[in-house]
Amino acid sequence: MAYIHLDGVSKQYGSVWAVDRVNMAIEKHEFVSLLGPSGSGKTTLLRIIAGLERPTTGRVLIDGEDVTELPPHKRGVAMVFQEFLLFPHRTVYENLAFPLRMLKLPKSEIEARVEWVVGILALRGLEKRYPNQLSGGQQQRVALGRGLVGRPKVLLLDEPLANLDRELRQEMEVEIRKHQTDLGIPFIYVTHNQEEALSMSDRIAVVRGGRIEDFASRTDIYDRPKTAFIAQFVGRSNRFIGTAATAGDTISLSGEGVRIETATRPGIADGERVAAYVKNEKVRLRPASAGGAGAANTLAATVRYVILRGAYAEYVLGWSGGELVASRPRSEAEFTEGAEVVAFWDAADVDLFPVPEDSR
Amino acid sequence: MRIKIKPGKFALLATVALSYLFLYLPVVHIGLASFARNSNFPYPPKWSLDIMARLFSNSLYQTALGNSLIIGIFAALLSTALAGLATIGLMRHAGRRAPLYLALFIAPLFVAEVLLGISSLIFNGLFLGLQGNMVSAILANTVHCFSYALLIIATQLYRYDWRLDDAAMVFGASPARTFFEVTLPLIWPGLLGAFIVTFIMAFNNLEISFYLLGATPTLPSAAWGALRYGVKPELYALATCVNLIVFVLLAVMFVLMRTGLVTFGHRPERERSAV
Repeated sequence: MAYIHLDGVSKQYGSVWAVDRVNMAIEKHEFVSLLGPSGSGKTTLLRIIAGLERPTTGRVLIDGEDVTELPPHKRGVAMVFQEFLLFPHRTVYENLAFPLRMLKLPKSEIEARVEWVVGILALRGLEKRYPNQLSGGQQQRVALGRGLVGRPKVLLLDEPLANLDRELRQEMEVEIRKHQTDLGIPFIYVTHNQEEALSMSDRIAVVRGGRIEDFASRTDIYDRPKTAFIAQFVGRSNRFIGTAATAGDTISLSGEGVRIETATRPGIADGERVAAYVKNEKVRLRPASAGGAGAANTLAATVRYVILRGAYAEYVLGWSGGELVASRPRSEAEFTEGAEVVAFWDAADVDLFPVPEDSR
Repeated sequence: MRIKIKPGKFALLATVALSYLFLYLPVVHIGLASFARNSNFPYPPKWSLDIMARLFSNSLYQTALGNSLIIGIFAALLSTALAGLATIGLMRHAGRRAPLYLALFIAPLFVAEVLLGISSLIFNGLFLGLQGNMVSAILANTVHCFSYALLIIATQLYRYDWRLDDAAMVFGASPARTFFEVTLPLIWPGLLGAFIVTFIMAFNNLEISFYLLGATPTLPSAAWGALRYGVKPELYALATCVNLIVFVLLAVMFVLMRTGLVTFGHRPERERSAV
C-alpha cells in the first residue's frame, strides 16, 4: 500500500469545486509535483493533505492512518510556504527549533537537530538573526530547514521558489532534490512552473480545474502527454489545427497549408477536428535549397527572429499558416534572420488530440 | 551670521506653537496651581505641597480613586479581551458579512454616554438583577470601551498575517499553543494599546459611572460633586493627579513604540514581498 493515499478527495467552496474527486497514491521516497496553472486547485489539495482545509468528501491516509479528521498539528507533516512565513518574532535558531519543541524533544536533542539542519542548509552564523535580517534566499533556506528538522512523514512545499530570482531558484532546485533523496521522505511540491516540476520530480500530477489530468513519471508527462492540455502546458509546443483523415495505420491532418502525418490514435474519428502538437525542440530545420518542402510533416518557412538562449537558439519562423518556433542546440548549423528554410519533424514526435472545446 | 526664517515657515511654526499652547496651557496652569500656595493665581508660583496633602488626607478622594482604578482596570481588561476575540472573529470567520458585524460592534460609539448610563442602569437592574453598583458600572463602561478597543486592535490585527497561524499548526502547535507562541507575541502591542486607552476612558468616565453608582464616588463624580461648593484647590490637585496618571500611561506607550519593542509586531512591509 502506498504511503500517502488520497481517496476521492473533493473540496467545495460555495458552488465551486476547487478540488474534484482526486485519487492519488504516493510512495515513500517519492518526489511528486502538483503542476497546474493558478486557480487549478493544487494549493487547496496540498492544504487538505496538511489538514489546513477539510475536504468536503473523501479521505486522506498517511502511513496507513486515516488522518482526514485530524487537525494539522497531529498529522506529523511539515510545510514550506511560498511566503516563507517564518515567525518574525523568533530568531533563526528559534524558528528551526519550533517544530522540535512542539514534539517535546529534550533540549540536547533539539540542539543536535538544529545543528544538523544548520549544517546541511549552510545557515551557520545566522542562528541569532531575525527573519527580517535575512535575504530572500536565506529565508527560503530557513523555511526549508524548519520543514526538514522535525523529520516529518511528508514535506509539503507550496511554490517555495516562486519569490526567488531565477539563478537562486535553480540552485535551490538541486538542493531540495538532494535533501529529499538523502532523507528518503516524500515531498509533495506544488508549482505552476513546469521547469521546477520537471527538474525535481519523480512523478508529476498535472492539475486542472480541480482534477488530476494525468499522474505519471516526468518523462511520460513531457514526452507522451495524455491530453491536449498537458501537451500545451508542459514544454513549449507548436500547434496545428485541421481535419483528421485515417488511411491504414496512419492518420493525417490537413489544413492551413500543411499536412501532418502520424500513427493512428484510438479515439479520433475520421473528419474530426484535431490539434497536433510538435514540441519546439522536435522541429528541425534545413536550408530551403535542400528541397522537399511539399512532403508530409514539412513546411517552407522564413526565419523571422533568432533568439539566443545560451546553449540553444530559438528560431521564430513565419510560414503561410502563421508562426512556428524551432529550438535547436547552438552546435548545429545556424540560420540568419531572413533565411529561407524547410522545417520538418518526425511522425513519432507529433501528439494528436481532438480539439478541446475551450480553445476552438 | 543671522538665521533667516522665511515668513511662510515662520507662520507655520507660530501656528504649531499656538496650537500646543491652546491644548496644554490649561493643564499646565492647573499643574502649577496645585503645587503653589497662591493657587488662585500662581504667577510666579510659591511652591508648596499643602494642596496635595489636603487632597490625600481627604478620604472621599481616596475612596473615589480606588473606585475609579477598579472600574478602569476591569472595564479595560474586559473590553480588550472581548474586542480581541471579536476582531479575530471578524477577520477569520465573518466572511462577506464582516462589514455588517463591524458596524454593529462600533455603533455604541455613537450613543450618548448619558443614555448608555441610563439604559444600562435600567437593563442591568431589571434583567441581570444588578443594582447600581461597581459590577454594573464596570459592565456599562465595557460596552462603551469595547468599540474603541475594537478599532485599536483591528488596526494592529489588520497587518497580522494569519497564515503564520497555519505555519505554527502545521509544525505541531495546537490552536491554544499557536495563540500563545505566535499570535499573542505579535499582536500584544495592539492589545496593550487598547488596554491603556480603554483604561483611561473608563477611569475618567463621568456619565456612565455616575448613573450606575449613584452615591458611590469615582474621581470624576467626586470632582463634579465638589463643584457645588465652589472650585476648591483640592480639585486642582485632583486634576493634576489624574493628568499625571494619563501622561504616564501615554509615555509608556510612546516609549514602547520608540524603543522598537512594539515593532516586534508583524510588519509585512519588512518581509520579503509576499504575493
